[in-house]
Amino acid sequence: MAADKGDQGSRKAKRSESSVENHIIGSDEEEEEPDFSDPEDFVDDIKEEELLGDLLKQRPKETDGIDNVVVVDNVPVVGPDRVAKLQNVIKKIFEKFGKIVTEHYPMEDGKTKGYIFLEYTSPIHAQEAVLNTNGYKLDKTHTFAVNLLSDFDKYENVPDEWEPPAPKPYHDVGNLRYWLLDPDCIDQYSIIYEGGEKTAIMQNCIYLNSVREPVIIEERPRWTETYVRWSPQGNYLATFHQKGIALWGGERFDQIMRYSHPGVQLIDFSPCERYLVTFSPLPEKSEEPQAIIIWDLRTGHKKRGFHCETTTQATWPIFKWSQDGEYFARHTTDTLSVYETSTFRLLENKSLRISAIKDFSWCPSDNIIAYWVPEQENVPARVTLIQIPSRKEICVRNLFNVADCRMHWQKNGDYLCVKVDRYSKAKKIEDKDAVKYSGIYYNFELFRIREKQIPVDKVECKENVLAFAWEPNGHKFAYIHGESPRISVSFYNIRPGGKVEQMKVLERRSANHLFWSPMGQFVVLAGLRNMNGVLEFVDTADMTVMAQTEHFMATDVEWDPTGRYVATGVSWWGHKVDNAYWIWSFQGRLLSKQPMERFCQLLWRPRPLSVLTPEEIKEIKKNLKKYSQKFEAQDRLRQSTVSTELIQKRRQLIEEYEKFRTQREEEFHHFKPRRLALRNGIDTDDLGNRAEEEYEEEIVEFLLKVEETLIDEE
Amino acid sequence: MKPIMLHGHERSITQIKYNLEGDLIFTCAKDSQPNVWYSINGERLGSYRGHNGAVWCIDVSWDTTQVLTGSADNTCRLWDCETGKELAVLETLTAVRSCGFSYSGRTLMYSTDKTMGHPCEIHIYDVRDSTQVSNQSPAMVIPSESSKITAAIWGPYEEYIITGHENGEICHFDVKTCEKLISVKEHNKPINDIQASKDMSMVISASKDFTAKLFETATLRHMKTYKTDRPVNSAAISPVMDHVVLGGGQEAMDVTTTSTRIGKFDAKFFHLVFEEEFGRVKGHFGPINSVAFHPDGKSYSSGGEDGYVRVHTFDPEYFDFRFEY
Repeated sequence: MAADKGDQGSRKAKRSESSVENHIIGSDEEEEEPDFSDPEDFVDDIKEEELLGDLLKQRPKETDGIDNVVVVDNVPVVGPDRVAKLQNVIKKIFEKFGKIVTEHYPMEDGKTKGYIFLEYTSPIHAQEAVLNTNGYKLDKTHTFAVNLLSDFDKYENVPDEWEPPAPKPYHDVGNLRYWLLDPDCIDQYSIIYEGGEKTAIMQNCIYLNSVREPVIIEERPRWTETYVRWSPQGNYLATFHQKGIALWGGERFDQIMRYSHPGVQLIDFSPCERYLVTFSPLPEKSEEPQAIIIWDLRTGHKKRGFHCETTTQATWPIFKWSQDGEYFARHTTDTLSVYETSTFRLLENKSLRISAIKDFSWCPSDNIIAYWVPEQENVPARVTLIQIPSRKEICVRNLFNVADCRMHWQKNGDYLCVKVDRYSKAKKIEDKDAVKYSGIYYNFELFRIREKQIPVDKVECKENVLAFAWEPNGHKFAYIHGESPRISVSFYNIRPGGKVEQMKVLERRSANHLFWSPMGQFVVLAGLRNMNGVLEFVDTADMTVMAQTEHFMATDVEWDPTGRYVATGVSWWGHKVDNAYWIWSFQGRLLSKQPMERFCQLLWRPRPLSVLTPEEIKEIKKNLKKYSQKFEAQDRLRQSTVSTELIQKRRQLIEEYEKFRTQREEEFHHFKPRRLALRNGIDTDDLGNRAEEEYEEEIVEFLLKVEETLIDEE
Repeated sequence: MKPIMLHGHERSITQIKYNLEGDLIFTCAKDSQPNVWYSINGERLGSYRGHNGAVWCIDVSWDTTQVLTGSADNTCRLWDCETGKELAVLETLTAVRSCGFSYSGRTLMYSTDKTMGHPCEIHIYDVRDSTQVSNQSPAMVIPSESSKITAAIWGPYEEYIITGHENGEICHFDVKTCEKLISVKEHNKPINDIQASKDMSMVISASKDFTAKLFETATLRHMKTYKTDRPVNSAAISPVMDHVVLGGGQEAMDVTTTSTRIGKFDAKFFHLVFEEEFGRVKGHFGPINSVAFHPDGKSYSSGGEDGYVRVHTFDPEYFDFRFEY
């Protein structure tokens, strides 16, 4: 190649010389038509690759179609009379993944050989077919083994000698859960500020009775490009980058793992923190599906990629995880696909066919899926609970006149509430495939999961429901309803026998969000954004309003994981001025204001579930008095140390300042002659004080005018 | 105590100053008539008529004989304090942003805006030399190459001028050599105001970056920072207590997006040494543009975007209040 290039270079040089000559001649004489034909002894030494390498690359190859072909093994051996039937069955299974261009059934002695070849139009279809049908159970004796034809080449070239992969050096990141060892149970939170330029991990330094400035544990510029997320148990912090996701953890927030996924926008952790799901909207370049990727969190290995159908209006997370991380599921137009994490394949190799499934959700404590389907031609809408992996339906509830459903699980999985929007009239809009509902009213279907046969209760609400939330570990729920300005908040309690009773209705509130404390009992009603940030702290044990206050224009409310504090924030993402976060006690006492330039987001670091058994918790609750005495003593101590520290600091500051002052005063005294010279010898130094001493009040009387008025003497 | 409201301006107040004795208050506003008032009862004594534009700055000589005003009509005018007679009109190419008499009152300076292709400059005149004024030939012109000057005062003993710049810098300019002696950049947004302590050993700067900062005058050593949650338009040091007062608020253009209930237009009192806020005075319904302490430290005034000047006399409790240390 180098030689070629040299030749070319010299040729170019020659040409330019000749053109110069031509030019000189041309200026004198009439310009002669240059001769473009090759000289007789010219040998074409430019290779085709050089001239049109880019085109040649696209030249079809013999092996081009090979990626489209799949080989299916373990197909039943049949005689010629039943080949047509077999072909039908095969087609049914394999045409789901794309159009089959050719199919080949090798025959021997009038019988099929038990393996077949199928060709698709594109390698993507072939791959999809392999992924989904390999291991497909046709019947008891026939389980398909499906491979790409090109895979045969790949596996033929496997070296005979196996080389053990070099062990990856173990990188010790320290104790990931070090922050839980804090004796005072101090919580951490992440904040993003300066419009996303800076991210910091802060330590909350507020104790019940003493407030200190939060301590910065780690602050890094441009740590993330968009936002951050904590893993569900708080062990990892995920940062978003153009190239993918990075996880950080340990005491110094070292990088633990990177997951390369260009253009990643959304992520989700499995509840057990074993898997990470990432989503990127970039168009897929390679043949492998990679809109959604599931990663093994610890090893960083890609477990499986998925396509993301844009046709169904899916909301993130598309894949929902069971509480133990054993299963994950997604729904498409007519199916519910449940995958196992042991194999990363469909559970029992097939999806559940549920026509027109609208939404589903996992129970937070058991492997139960709840899903709902809308009304279809005389079949009522339905909410169904099924057990996984048995797929047994454990509860079915038929509903009529349903416009929409929303499922809310209580955090312990004791209850499921389905908020049903019902209509009194439905009108089909002809040209669009949509239905217009009118006369909407609402009700809540309350499923009591823990009881036999799962009894269901109903609570009706005539007004528009703005928000609904369960008490995380209790039997209460609350919802906000009505139209502004007549918005009310209703609280309900489910009695042990199953009786649903209304506890209280708070009327005429400005609230559009409600946040239960993670420990239950306390709730914050918030009127965020367009309701100016009105906050109300309610104790649901006796239904008292503990505090009514506001954080003007607040956009976010975040309870800390222990339920001791509430952080409210005005995020720069939602509102451009007054960006700050404030920390309140759970009773609604403002503890600390933290104004921050272009503050964006505050997230408390989650805590893992308590390791205490219910009995132990009960025991602690019983002896609370003993503990609280101890804590109160600690609080007092801490408060007094804070004030002594403060006073010491002040004393030091004043000493420094006084030293500075005496120096300056001496100087000032020293320069007195200079001042006198500048102001014509008049001493003005203590004019202000002197003026007062000499100040005397003087009354000056003027005669304005004299008027005479006659008074009638009668 | 109930404040005295001085209502004589039609538009927002830009600067207020007390004379040395503190019996008079001089105010200027975006209307074209600077006023003078009795500080004791708020009675208006008179106006200085002649400007045709917003008046940005005002100063009075130490002996209260002359008043200097700088305006957006591209003039800086010298007045007879008592009669209101215009003594001189100093024409400039751009608006006059800040002006001041020197300690002796024998020289005056003003700074001009950097607009319409004209540079930002400090001009210094000797008042005693009438030819300088009549010929419009300043004794000294100091150009500010870098950022525009947004606030300027005389340093002690007329040796240098302390300037605050649009980019947050604070500098010393020597008046004899025109050199920039010191430059510090503690703020990152424009400086709105600079005021000196009574003995001129310290200066306080007010900046749009939500802080006011205290500096040692001679070295511009940064001493203290007073943090707020709003742009600070003006700051003053109490002549008798270790206190500073800060005035400011959201800029007029952003006011509609904020709540007045939270009281962002309050004057805030900080302890000079501890940098801790200990009091607020509310009343203005727009941002405060200028604050000034009475020379005896027993009252202070604030002038706001709302066009009012409020003269507040401190209650006795103010003088009893002590920080624990």
